[in-house]
Amino acid sequence: MRTMGDLESRFEGVAGALLGGLKTGEALSLEFAGEASAFMRFSGGRVRQTGEVEAAVVDFRLYAGGRTLRKAFSLPGNAMGDLAAAALALKEARGEAARLPPDPYQVLPAAAERSSEAYPGSLPDPEELPREILGPAEGLDFVGLHAQGRVARGAANSSGARHFFATENFSTDWSAWLPSGKAVKSVYAGRDWDGEEHARRIAASRPLLEGLSLPERRLEPGSYRAYLSPEALNALMVFFSWRGLSERELREGESSFLALREGRRSLSPKFTLVQDFSLGVEPRFNGLGETAPERLVLVDRGRLAASLVSARTARQYGLASNAAPEDESLRSPAVAPGGLPAAEALQALDTGLYVSNLHYANWSDFASARVTGMTRFACFWVEGGKIAAPIKDMRFDESLYELLGGGLLDLTAERSLVPSTGSYGLRDVGGRLLPGLLLGGLRLTL
Amino acid sequence: MTSDLTRLLQAAIPPGAEWTGLRRVRSVSRSYSARDGRFDEAFSEEDSGFMVEVLSGGQFGYAATADGSPSGLREAGLRALTLARAAGPYAIHRFGAGQRPSWKVRWESPRAKSGSLGADILAEAAIAVSAAMRIDRRIVQTSASLETRDLEIELVSSSGASLAQVLHLAGHGRKATARSGDVVQARTGHGPRGELRQAGAEFLDLPALLEAAARTAREALELAEAEPCPAGKADLLLAPDQMALQLHESVGHPLELDRILGDERNFAGSTFVRPEDIGRLRYGSELMNVSFDPSLAGEAASFAFDDSGAPAERVLLVEKGLLVRALGGLESQARSGKPGAACQRADGWRRPPIDRMANLNLEPGESSMEEMVASIERGVLMEANRSWSIDDRREKFQFGCEYGRLIKDGRLCKVVRDPNYRGVSSSFWRSLFKVGDRSTFAAFGTPNCGKGEPNQLQFVGHASPACAFRGVEIFGGEA
Repeated sequence: MRTMGDLESRFEGVAGALLGGLKTGEALSLEFAGEASAFMRFSGGRVRQTGEVEAAVVDFRLYAGGRTLRKAFSLPGNAMGDLAAAALALKEARGEAARLPPDPYQVLPAAAERSSEAYPGSLPDPEELPREILGPAEGLDFVGLHAQGRVARGAANSSGARHFFATENFSTDWSAWLPSGKAVKSVYAGRDWDGEEHARRIAASRPLLEGLSLPERRLEPGSYRAYLSPEALNALMVFFSWRGLSERELREGESSFLALREGRRSLSPKFTLVQDFSLGVEPRFNGLGETAPERLVLVDRGRLAASLVSARTARQYGLASNAAPEDESLRSPAVAPGGLPAAEALQALDTGLYVSNLHYANWSDFASARVTGMTRFACFWVEGGKIAAPIKDMRFDESLYELLGGGLLDLTAERSLVPSTGSYGLRDVGGRLLPGLLLGGLRLTL
Repeated sequence: MTSDLTRLLQAAIPPGAEWTGLRRVRSVSRSYSARDGRFDEAFSEEDSGFMVEVLSGGQFGYAATADGSPSGLREAGLRALTLARAAGPYAIHRFGAGQRPSWKVRWESPRAKSGSLGADILAEAAIAVSAAMRIDRRIVQTSASLETRDLEIELVSSSGASLAQVLHLAGHGRKATARSGDVVQARTGHGPRGELRQAGAEFLDLPALLEAAARTAREALELAEAEPCPAGKADLLLAPDQMALQLHESVGHPLELDRILGDERNFAGSTFVRPEDIGRLRYGSELMNVSFDPSLAGEAASFAFDDSGAPAERVLLVEKGLLVRALGGLESQARSGKPGAACQRADGWRRPPIDRMANLNLEPGESSMEEMVASIERGVLMEANRSWSIDDRREKFQFGCEYGRLIKDGRLCKVVRDPNYRGVSSSFWRSLFKVGDRSTFAAFGTPNCGKGEPNQLQFVGHASPACAFRGVEIFGGEA
């Protein structure tokens, strides 16, 4: 498989070809994403699919004559082919851009910063993965995906910006199942593989599975005191990107936080949300080559402190950009900790619902920021601070103004870095630093 | 089209492989969008590459690369063989070449107008559609988009398969957002990107789009002034654009054989359907007939063969309410011993094929729209999905729609906003009491159904008549 240096040289080569091919009066910004990954999918403790993927994509914007065209192409994978593909893409883009209407909010690239970060890791040989991953799970109904390899991101523009970020990492995203359909879920991710740590995590799941084999408790619809683990909170973080804190969506009535923006609603004074690149898991640059501030406080003790502003939105509304990507999604989020020691979460919950994971969360009412979803994996009924029984999965439907507002009793003092394990198109980079939440009430509906 | 691929296959076949396949995928897509009557974005993308699959000791291994040189494919074939051999002792099933048949097929989406439309035409059309929705000062934002995609898939194998198909996809989207006081409401064209189908240049019918845009804006204004949908048990009449989502989530996904076999439990989820339910389970009322139909001209996911090389044909999955067949490709069929369909699809050259919906349709019944409305004493008509959530066993769902109209004593009454409903899949489908006739039948599609580890996004098509369900829990925005 290719080295991280190979990925960087491919980025440099294609960036040089695109930028070097510009004519007078043209400008260009480009993003690069590449990977050399091994995937092993398993089910029932056996290998379901195994393979490797080498891929790299360039996504660029050509600015010419007041027109803007965005174009993406996959790189063939050899130096000559990459350069030829770049030259052809630029030629086609030039022809197509000339036929477009003027771009009313065109923003020419202006950033000129440079950065380079590389985080090498230590990974097992892909041929050893079946034994390494499945060996410690002997006897378990073990399901999931192990992914590993090199992932790179880059950005460059005709003003001189040049950024490259690469990491060599792995994630073993798994669950272990009982015949009853109950399961323990875990993600082991990092840069340096430790087979013993993997085995330790699997061993730790076995007593949890025993707890899940207790008779199931069926809850009636109603509001219950609840504790949400960091992984459960992670399922809700999408709502800050999707109809979330985008300045453009706030301006256009698309955000579900319009009432927060207009001061009609607020979140809890205990709740603070920061875009925090000091976590070091995601690059700070965006597709225009702009570098975001290391820390940007978005929600400060329940009040909207800032929104995510891209250069295009800034141009349209006469604002200052904070180097958000074009879609104004939230990157590298961190929720401030509270005062509840995680080890005391069950005692603080006393009697109620322990939620390890949530599933398929979606907005159910935009105006009231109400969201719905399901409990999933190891969720328990707790009595007197002790686990009493696993629950039958239930649907919740509750406003974020309640979950992260009046109903938020406390957050844990410790936080977990929940890694991004998505792999649509290419493997994700990034993660979220999140505490657990103690809630006065979680409304279950079905 | 596959002649040079056959030559490249020879380079990719590693010594000692029992079977080798080479799949080349090239996707060329373009999209043009506008906001508030002004240009917003033009995007074009070309993605092409190869997947080499190798069978060794009953285990498939794969290697995906964009490097189509003989040396690049030779290296990929060797890696795929190495991984297959390493996994062999841990294989979930001993597959054979029978899971990769050897047909020879050529196919292309039927088109009334071949050739592509220029960037200027498509961008100006998007601008015109978004401008046409700015009909009132209460319209705070409008957007419109047009997109096309040409997808070429070629597959050759060491056992003689030689397959080539070209799919021409096209779609448009539009959205009008209206605000009245603190109430903000949006109306789209049959849901976000719901108007996806297979077509040539004829997909751009600007006069029809402009007329639809004006209607979309008017309905956004109606919603901004409407009362919330009431809560309680009532009959539910679903338009075909919401039936598409209902079918997708509570019939299509539960019937995927890889879910039934447990492969998706860690990510997308499992299903309440068990292997022994096939041929026995009463899935819905006797009015329910569901087909897997990749042959319906113009529907989004029509094709001639799947990515295992199996020839596609129409089969019934639910017949008069009885579950008779699941959605599983040749690998899942071999593992389960159950009949399936040609639905093992990959979302591109970087991913191996998995069990997928394609065109999953509800067959038309005999009721006109007027008859269905007349049969409801107290109910709600709901159109166009805007919110979707269902549990990992595909039982407990909650769906929200853009547009609702109350039905009282057999007549359509006032518009209501934020209509939602929830239920349990099996009992919901058993409450189906009217199925619309062909005059109510319409096809929709979505380009972004997520599933699989590693993740894949797939396009699917769903055609359905309007349908009526008895005694459903409905509610509005603040309920």
